[in-house]
Amino acid sequence: MPTPTYTPLANITLGSSASSVTFSNIPNTYRDLILITDIDITAQTNGYVMVRVNGDTGSNYTEVFMSSLGPTSQSNTRTFFYNDYGVDVTGRAIRIYQFMDYAVTDKHKTVLGRSSMGASANGAVTAAAFRWASTSAITSIAFTRNAGNFNSGSTFALYGVIA
Amino acid sequence: MQLIESKTLGSAQASIEFTNIPQTFTDLYLVTSVRSAGASSTDNVRIQINGATSGHNSRVLYGTGSGVGSTSDSNTSNFPFIYSGGTNFTSNTFNNASAYFPNYSGSTTKSMSSDSVMENNGTEAFQSIQAGLFNSTDAISSIKIYFAAANIAQYSSASLYGITKGSDGTTTVS
Repeated sequence: MPTPTYTPLANITLGSSASSVTFSNIPNTYRDLILITDIDITAQTNGYVMVRVNGDTGSNYTEVFMSSLGPTSQSNTRTFFYNDYGVDVTGRAIRIYQFMDYAVTDKHKTVLGRSSMGASANGAVTAAAFRWASTSAITSIAFTRNAGNFNSGSTFALYGVIA
Repeated sequence: MQLIESKTLGSAQASIEFTNIPQTFTDLYLVTSVRSAGASSTDNVRIQINGATSGHNSRVLYGTGSGVGSTSDSNTSNFPFIYSGGTNFTSNTFNNASAYFPNYSGSTTKSMSSDSVMENNGTEAFQSIQAGLFNSTDAISSIKIYFAAANIAQYSSASLYGITKGSDGTTTVS
């Protein structure tokens, strides 16, 4: 019998608006993590979703992304993972994060990101690659916004992938 | 991740369709390997949800092998899925794509995130990523895959998987 490839670890559906969502106590027994979010927001001026790991607020997050808005491509160093170019639009959008080798302690962490906001007015699709400049195992992942909350009904689901 | 159904065409057909999709999972994941049976140049594979002839909105970012571009559609009968060559493209090569539908059985509008690549031994070979929004609160019960202007070629295949969220009893979220 085939073994399921996504092992569910934790999930939350917001019953009311919230300013943050944090996954903690992530076990180190998987190879990769897949985090699938279906987030409903009300757009803010220059608003975006910020993702941080292990509570790190330092300038340890680098990115390269391409977006249908433009279209354009950019590279930056930030204090968080940024997967929101053209996607901070009122309504629901998918943001998917794949954390590769998240539990190893001999390399910086690579993350692949996708964000998809299909509304034809101001929506966008973006693909990104990130690096967290730390050899620490990832034990927590936190979502916040620089302005505004996550609306009720937003979902966040974390899965582990076995090597 | 659990396989719901897999289909392979024994002959060219107008479409591949998954119907009566069980509502027991959290998300859906669709994987396809298709080729056009038509003789025309690039054609588009489409996805239609629940047989709806409107309500599909999309944003696409694509590369052609020699350039890049983006497109958008509003309130149409389908999502663009794959830019696919016809019989004039390299033989025995099929185009690959995947699409993810979170919360497909819920009571909110339905989002889609997909990737696709056209296979061709030549300069023209499209790659694309897509964002889709199906502007309906109905659960997704059927998914139809079809070409805009031709049948789907023999040996094309599609597989639909279900993914269920849960908890391991150790990881916490708040």
